[in-house]
Amino acid sequence: MRVTVHQLAKAYGYFWALRDLEIQVAGGERVALLGPNGAGKTTLLNLLAGLIYPTRGEIRLDGAPLTRQSNAQRAAIGLLSPGEHLYDNLTARENLEFFTALYDRQRGPIRNDDAIEETLEAVGLGRWAGEYAGALSSGMKCRLSVAKWKLLSPKLLLLDEPYGVLDGGGVDLLESFLKAQSEQGSVVIIASHHVARVLDLCTRAIILEQGKLIFDETRREPWDSFARAFGAFSPGGNR
Amino acid sequence: MPQVTGKKRKGILGAATLVFIIAGLYWGLVKAPPDAYQGDSQRIMYLHIPSILTAYLSFFLVFLGSCLYLWKREKRDDSLAHAAAEIGVLFTALTIIEGSIWGRPTWGVWWTWDARLTLTAILLLIFIGYLMLRALVEDESRAASSAAILGIIGFLDIPLIHMSVYWWRTLHQPPSILRPDKVPWENIHPELLTALAINFVAFVLLYFYLLSHRLRLSEMREEIKSRRMN
Amino acid sequence: MKLLRQTLLLLRKDLLLELRRHESLMTMFFFGALLLFVFNFSFELTPARVSELAPGLLWLAFLFTGTLGLTQLFEGERGNHCLDALLMSPIDRGALFLAKTCFNIVLMGLVELVVMPLFWILFSLPSWQPLPALFLIVFLGNVGFCVLGTILAAVTLKARARELLLPLVLFPLMVPVILATIRCMEALLRFGELGDALPWLRLLIGFDVIFLTVGILIFDWVVDV
Repeated sequence: MRVTVHQLAKAYGYFWALRDLEIQVAGGERVALLGPNGAGKTTLLNLLAGLIYPTRGEIRLDGAPLTRQSNAQRAAIGLLSPGEHLYDNLTARENLEFFTALYDRQRGPIRNDDAIEETLEAVGLGRWAGEYAGALSSGMKCRLSVAKWKLLSPKLLLLDEPYGVLDGGGVDLLESFLKAQSEQGSVVIIASHHVARVLDLCTRAIILEQGKLIFDETRREPWDSFARAFGAFSPGGNR
Repeated sequence: MPQVTGKKRKGILGAATLVFIIAGLYWGLVKAPPDAYQGDSQRIMYLHIPSILTAYLSFFLVFLGSCLYLWKREKRDDSLAHAAAEIGVLFTALTIIEGSIWGRPTWGVWWTWDARLTLTAILLLIFIGYLMLRALVEDESRAASSAAILGIIGFLDIPLIHMSVYWWRTLHQPPSILRPDKVPWENIHPELLTALAINFVAFVLLYFYLLSHRLRLSEMREEIKSRRMN
Repeated sequence: MKLLRQTLLLLRKDLLLELRRHESLMTMFFFGALLLFVFNFSFELTPARVSELAPGLLWLAFLFTGTLGLTQLFEGERGNHCLDALLMSPIDRGALFLAKTCFNIVLMGLVELVVMPLFWILFSLPSWQPLPALFLIVFLGNVGFCVLGTILAAVTLKARARELLLPLVLFPLMVPVILATIRCMEALLRFGELGDALPWLRLLIGFDVIFLTVGILIFDWVVDV
């Protein structure tokens, strides 16, 4: 998977949320998307997920532009927002069944039901498989989201503030999942305020401010230039 | 959409409009003979018929702009649809008022639910709904897409609405020009027809004149937006 | 066929959710029944007049309960931004349109199945014979209403004052359906058969077919920016 963002701009009325972004990400990279509130991180993630469309510029996945008709491309994109995109009145298991059917993941050597049960066990939700998603705690809901994307295995995985609700075990779970995905060639982009945590996990950092890209560095030892630009940010907070 | 917003073109358009309006008023009020049955009150037809035809032209432009916008996503097509709708409301409301004014001496009432008036009222409601939709949707490009969908559906529905309302009520005199079974000019005295034609041209020119101003307004808004980005 | 499979998947999910929460259906039932009571107090419904007024009154009731159902149509997707989840997925937008439309048709159909006999009982109409044919006509009107209504409900999803805007844009466009169903119902009640009202039935079916097709083709542009 190769993601290219070219002269990307997004306006809401007269307000420009993103201006003239140029980014290229290759498969296997884990990118930390950082910046103060209102910098445009969520807007960028929504554009990459295909939920909203650019005012100017374009996004390409593996060279093919992402457009309104890109249904096939959508099968390869995932957006993980804790607590979101799950039906409160379906059980954990039913949610997974629904989404795997939606993404057409029912074909394969293993019967889908087994895969669902295994994944629920792997994320620690085995006991709660029959509970309504609405009854789960936010930490468990986040684990359910992880289970969902584990099953759907997207080539482009976007995460919006995943760290807030997870406990220690959950965080380890998430991170091993992300590492596994990127090892398979997926692109992982995480927007977060938990700077120290996300930097530890990622191979590259991008900082947005007021819609503009002000920093884009791949991790290499020593972290000199990176540390300098990062001086103003403190771990776990914003400017 | 050809560049009608340039100053010189607008000037010519404005002048032509004025000429035709004056000619139309002269022909309609002075030169053409009064109607055999209705007398002078019939003269309001010279305004009423062109304005309803212009209102329908307007909706066609909304439809055109909507289709083009959904296809190409160019801002100017959306501006066309929006402007056409705004001025369309004006002409539709005008039509209703004129129809009502004509109705009073003819039938003795300010309003009846006959086919033509009802259809015009429905058209007005559709236009108003369109403009309200644009006003109430927050994000601009979403407003444009939503309005475009409504514009297309509305336009496709209009023939069906026509059929249903006409079948339902037929009190109004059969439309003398638009009767499908007779050749248009057989029905009317040539002087009346001339007056009607001139007024029709006048209305269309007036419509496009107002449209060009409204489009210029949209252009200016876009310019402000672009400048704010940099 | 892929479109059908996806439609059924979504429809099944919606029906399952409705079964568990039954928010929409219950409110629609009670609102419909309530309107019948209001009619009793607002109109002098003597046995002679009630047959005449029945089609119009029934349609008033269905329009209002139907609008109630429409404004709730995407409510199930609102919690947790589930609509985004559907839009992000590779499903055909046409399938989403069909599923939502069918869902609303089912809900309205259930309401009609209850409200119409209730009307017959409450207002002591003379004969039960025309009911099945009447129900069929109402159902065709129902389809037209739900097709246009679903498109417009999606279009007004992010608008302010949505509960007011939706009827405002929907009702003028519904005029052919309303006139056609009422004329057909009148003919059935008065003569027991359609007869002269046959062109109206054709208009109604034509309306349904046209906008069902338009909806499938156009829904792509409806649900996104």
